[in-house]
Amino acid sequence: MLLTDEEKRMLAGEYGPGVQRSLDLLVKLGDSFGAERMARISYGHAMYDVIPEDFWGLITEGAKPLTKVTTHPAYQPEQWKEWGITSGSRADEFIMEHQRKLNTVHRLGWLLTETCAEYLLGIIPRKGEIVAMSGSCMQVASNSLFGASVDRAGHLCSLASCISGRIPIMGLMLPENRYAQILVELDDLDVADWTDSHYSCLGYYVGEQVSGLRNVAVTGLSPNIPFDFARALVIPLPTSGAVTLCHIVGTTPEASTLEEALGNRKPEQVIKLGKGELTDTWRRLNVWNDDVVEHVAFGCPHCTIDEIGRIAALLEGKTLKASLLIGASVPVVALARQQGYVDTIEKAGGHFLSCCPSISNPFLHPNIAGERRAKSAATDSARAAHYIARVCGAKTFFGTKEECVDAAISGRWKGRELKWK
Amino acid sequence: MEIRAHTVCAGKAEGEAVAYKGPFSFLGDLDPATGKVPVLGHELEGKSLANKVFVFTTGKGSSGGPRIAWAAKRNAKAPAAMICLESEPVLSCGAIVAEIPTVDRPEKNPFELIKTGDYVKVDATAGIVEILGKP
Repeated sequence: MLLTDEEKRMLAGEYGPGVQRSLDLLVKLGDSFGAERMARISYGHAMYDVIPEDFWGLITEGAKPLTKVTTHPAYQPEQWKEWGITSGSRADEFIMEHQRKLNTVHRLGWLLTETCAEYLLGIIPRKGEIVAMSGSCMQVASNSLFGASVDRAGHLCSLASCISGRIPIMGLMLPENRYAQILVELDDLDVADWTDSHYSCLGYYVGEQVSGLRNVAVTGLSPNIPFDFARALVIPLPTSGAVTLCHIVGTTPEASTLEEALGNRKPEQVIKLGKGELTDTWRRLNVWNDDVVEHVAFGCPHCTIDEIGRIAALLEGKTLKASLLIGASVPVVALARQQGYVDTIEKAGGHFLSCCPSISNPFLHPNIAGERRAKSAATDSARAAHYIARVCGAKTFFGTKEECVDAAISGRWKGRELKWK
Repeated sequence: MEIRAHTVCAGKAEGEAVAYKGPFSFLGDLDPATGKVPVLGHELEGKSLANKVFVFTTGKGSSGGPRIAWAAKRNAKAPAAMICLESEPVLSCGAIVAEIPTVDRPEKNPFELIKTGDYVKVDATAGIVEILGKP
């Protein structure tokens, strides 16, 4: 790769070993994808708590703030202890590691947004803005819903960008790579009654059908579908697959027409899907053999204020049998508190945390809750269902918000197989 | 028998092949403590990828994959080498940080030439895969 004089000095170690290791990693990545040079990022979004501590130590060693950085959801072990999710000694180990990492985070001046849906806080990349992001859900949302210039990247490489302020110019950062190669057509489906969960199921199916890092254009939906629906559709694409840019024709910024989304080219592949594919996908997201529900997880990705409002309305005056975790950012929860939603949900027995409610859900993850963990969970997110089953090893129920809230109240799953119209 | 391929992460390694004609994510598809595939109903359910030459189609899944690759390597439970049809940045990041010799874009179809159990040598620096067959 062609490096600037400053980047050469970084690579030579003049900015300390952390920056040197970061740039070395990014040069290797760029070389393997044929990148010619680096770009400066306008800001970065990093994960810190789940990063292995030895890697964290190496990559941050001697680093000073070089760019603005915001953060992905983190652990909150003090809360686990207070709520009795985790045994005291296990929580204490997490608390100590969390504190050591926080010391570094403070030294680096990072903004502790602690959310996988930062756009809900008004931190929104503009069209074409170069941003390094952790979290495939932040990557696909920033690219698809806002037109930002974000390539698919692993946490550890995004972290290297946050430390060095650089990113190799490759993949989706190149305008010619942003057109859709795959066209998705809905065949004889009436979307009038669809909920977030239906769009989530659609995205999960499409992600599975696409091999590697290809872009999709979804056609056949009405123009300007609501934000929560557009988001629900794009989020699971890099869960079941690796799709990191999805144009929703008539809704997203680079797809005012189908021709614009495809760059006036013929698609390489057309995926037609109908009731059969979606029924089968819905069924596969449900991994259970009895109807006992011990836990319900919302907020993968972090809930919008409207979602919290809907959950609160369903929980008015109710008492929960199952534990309920709502993943949401601190500012969105503050707004929900102002509206009285938090009070209603907490009175019923629900919990709010600006943590990950799927991959590292503290109620479900064996490394966090150990023997106290819930062994079954319901969720309205296909992304969450995928990881709860695979990473937490829990029985998983996938359904609508209403079905999940009902399960939280009764402790039983009464979700029905959807009738797709 | 040799296959030329493109370098994703330089290095050399060899071992017994595990061929899987599907996509792979370190997060979800590999338990870093055991090196096994923990997914119920997966073609490779319960099979170990530790110190194997893993042949698959492409990467997928959450950007958290590379930290699992790092943890698996620390536990000596990572694949010895990887061969895939086409890598993508999350998979490549995992290979590079965990220093797993990896190639992609092979010039011949690896699924026709490499069967599970074959002994395979991967020189990812030179971009050469050598298939020695059954040991």
